[in-house]
Amino acid sequence: MKRISILSLFATCVLVIASALAQQPSASSKEILIKNAVVMTVTHGNIQAGSVYIKDGKIAAVGKDVSAPASATIIDAGGKYLTPGIVDSHSHIALDSDVNEATSPVTPQMMMIDAFDYQDKAIYRALAGGVTTSLLLHGSANMIGGQAIVIKHKYGLNRDAMLFPGAPRSIKFASGENPKRVYGSKDQLPSTRMGNFEVQREALVQAQEYMREWSDYDAKVKKGDKDASPPKRDLKMEALADVLKGNLLVQIHCYRADELLTEMAIAKEFGYKVRAFHHALEAYKVADQLAANDVGIATFADWWGYKQEAWDAIPWNAVMSMRKGVRVAIKSDSGDFTRRLNQEAAKTIRYGGATEEEALKMITLNAAWIIGVDNRVGSIEVGKDADLVLWDGYPLSSFGVPSKVFIDGDVYFDRTLPGFGMPYYREGE
Amino acid sequence: MKSVTGCWPLVVGLIISSFAVLGYAQQKPVALKGGKVLTVSHGIIEHGVLVMSGDKIVAVGQESSTKIPKDARVIDVTGMTVYPGLIDSETNLGLTEISAEDMTNDLVETSEEIMPHMHVYDAFHAESELIPVTRLNGITNAIVAPDSKDTLPGQDSFIQLAGTSSPDMLLVRDIAMPLNFTGDQRRNEPRDKRKFPSTRMGMAAQLRQAFLDAQDYEQHWADYEKKKNEASQKPDDKDKKTPSPPKRDLKLEALLPYLQGKKPIVLAAEEPNDLDAAVSLANEFKLKFILNHISQAQPVLDYVASLKVPVIVGPIYEEPKPYERYDAVYSLPAQLNKRGVKIAFASYDAHNVRNLPYQAGYATAFGLPPDEALKAITLNAAEIWGMADKLGSLDVGKTANVVVANGDPLDVKTDVKQVFIDGQEIPMVSRQTRLRDRYSGH
Repeated sequence: MKRISILSLFATCVLVIASALAQQPSASSKEILIKNAVVMTVTHGNIQAGSVYIKDGKIAAVGKDVSAPASATIIDAGGKYLTPGIVDSHSHIALDSDVNEATSPVTPQMMMIDAFDYQDKAIYRALAGGVTTSLLLHGSANMIGGQAIVIKHKYGLNRDAMLFPGAPRSIKFASGENPKRVYGSKDQLPSTRMGNFEVQREALVQAQEYMREWSDYDAKVKKGDKDASPPKRDLKMEALADVLKGNLLVQIHCYRADELLTEMAIAKEFGYKVRAFHHALEAYKVADQLAANDVGIATFADWWGYKQEAWDAIPWNAVMSMRKGVRVAIKSDSGDFTRRLNQEAAKTIRYGGATEEEALKMITLNAAWIIGVDNRVGSIEVGKDADLVLWDGYPLSSFGVPSKVFIDGDVYFDRTLPGFGMPYYREGE
Repeated sequence: MKSVTGCWPLVVGLIISSFAVLGYAQQKPVALKGGKVLTVSHGIIEHGVLVMSGDKIVAVGQESSTKIPKDARVIDVTGMTVYPGLIDSETNLGLTEISAEDMTNDLVETSEEIMPHMHVYDAFHAESELIPVTRLNGITNAIVAPDSKDTLPGQDSFIQLAGTSSPDMLLVRDIAMPLNFTGDQRRNEPRDKRKFPSTRMGMAAQLRQAFLDAQDYEQHWADYEKKKNEASQKPDDKDKKTPSPPKRDLKLEALLPYLQGKKPIVLAAEEPNDLDAAVSLANEFKLKFILNHISQAQPVLDYVASLKVPVIVGPIYEEPKPYERYDAVYSLPAQLNKRGVKIAFASYDAHNVRNLPYQAGYATAFGLPPDEALKAITLNAAEIWGMADKLGSLDVGKTANVVVANGDPLDVKTDVKQVFIDGQEIPMVSRQTRLRDRYSGH
């Protein structure tokens, strides 16, 4: 195939632009030792009076006694809690309402990067709440909405410096009430759940045919057929072909238990994998099946009753699903909740008895897995990005608020600073 | 703590077995013994006793010095926290079931903006599934208000979150009247279907006219009463004309108790300019008022304090202006409290009323003293709504609305173990616990 891989093109662009950035803080050369913190690693327990040594924007050492060169800047945490940066696996901030191209139910070629409003203060407010990484997703008007972006909350930098380098691509699917309402109200297909799934299958069948045309062409070229003419490139079909080839993480907005099962059946029928169900408020009813398919869920802690398909939502959903082996994340889906996901995660302690580590995992490592960046962020481990939050108060409570937020080893938010509390940002500059 | 977690299932078992009927049958007094009692009105009792008899609190004190009646059923709540039922100062409870399903919503009449004759008690749905969900988190009382789409959307009721019917639960009908002046009441959307009032000027003019009309109406009735009196004092006057009464007007009639200062207006504004306009209007008609929201009024907090009125503040989750620091709204309760303003919190919600205490808790992370935060969802609210003789603190003689939980009432981790309303042990069951149990294989 002659098509350039969008993924590699994307990654190359990001690298080139990021390295050329003038305003990029010199984080990479900094060495910081955070000591005397309760280090909540997520993967290997809490370390009382622990230290984290940051070098080149990465976590270089974690433990009770960590040696760092004298040149390192020392931050005495004074016994405060240190957690990984919070990861929001479902957000629509910074998109200036360009969340749905609600003019057709299948729009996989929509690229969120083209709408990314990187100056939106919502990014800053989430940062001040401890969020360091977010998946910015399309809305749920369409059965297939478009391709998401993963950002780091480096507020004040330029657009491409805020993209998470090398993060896998995700695509947003939806189901249920929203597509059928949006198109039903225009007297178009789909207006029922039957219509929803037909539209989805139809699009995937077209993509299979598109792939066949291309492989026929490739086969001809391989045989040395000089007269072979390439099929017309179709961005929409190309994106769906990437779904079928497993090049995109499939993130599906889905509420009802029966639809969770149907979506998994369609994925099986067409041979792709569902990475995670989003909202998934009835996951507790079919948690065994979700676990068997290794599908994660990104859910609310206790949001319910706002529509019919949220009527059976219960606040025990997260923990009940987790106990059955489902990878569970608590997400915001909101510019409000994203500012206090720690409080939302703490609700799982109250509803169902999650342990402290399990609760924290739902807004760090599990959320990072859903986005596909769990090898980079989500826990305090050597080699991972130094995305960290130092807290005033206990994070898994009503009372915890971030004191300092580090991204790639640099402080992007400091509550003790005047104004916005951002070392790299001044209003009007 | 260990002893507590060990004993609680037993306690719950006892409660459930004794709780055969939700009613007001004569019961033995109940004594909660050994818990940390947050009285709100007179401090914290580390090892306390609280005795309830009938629907009242009959004793509160130290474990060592408080007599427990011989016939009382004693529940060991050692390690638990005991506090008064929480009060939410603005909800839509009973007016909605599923937000997106219009037929389940009775939130506000939007055909007109001046609708003071709408009474939420006429729509209040006592059997709403939202009510058990809410009270399981310790919220026992709430203001039910119509949605704020109108400047005068109707009158609020004060409810108790338990009872067999809506009359049982509506403790005070028409307790107050919201006057909303946030700009959201303008009829300016969609653009091609604008109608009066599409500006704040229109909103204010319309409100002013409504109050003037009500004053006229009041005068007509006064004139009539006067004439009627005069006529009755001259029974022998052959020329007397029996005066005919003015035509009754429910809308204008509804405004009279507020014009007469008998009941408070809940004056909602966000920004300083709206606050000024709304307060001017209230003062022009000598309305007694409570402030509501003011979540963007940071520049004028000294002025707010000078008004010497209570404030229902927030919700503190309102997003600040782009030019403001991230915590501009989070810190508002602390800023008001520092200036001596009496504050209360509200969820301004229906499904999520249960999260009211966490909002108060979060405000403490931004400077509000924890005891003031608890007061803002108990005693302050009771005082603001004129219910402090019955509610808001653990004092002898008050209604036995009592919550037992395994920790700080303001903390999101805290699990509420038992709620008492009117001294009755509320079954800790809701539609949601039933779904949980069904899918947990219980």
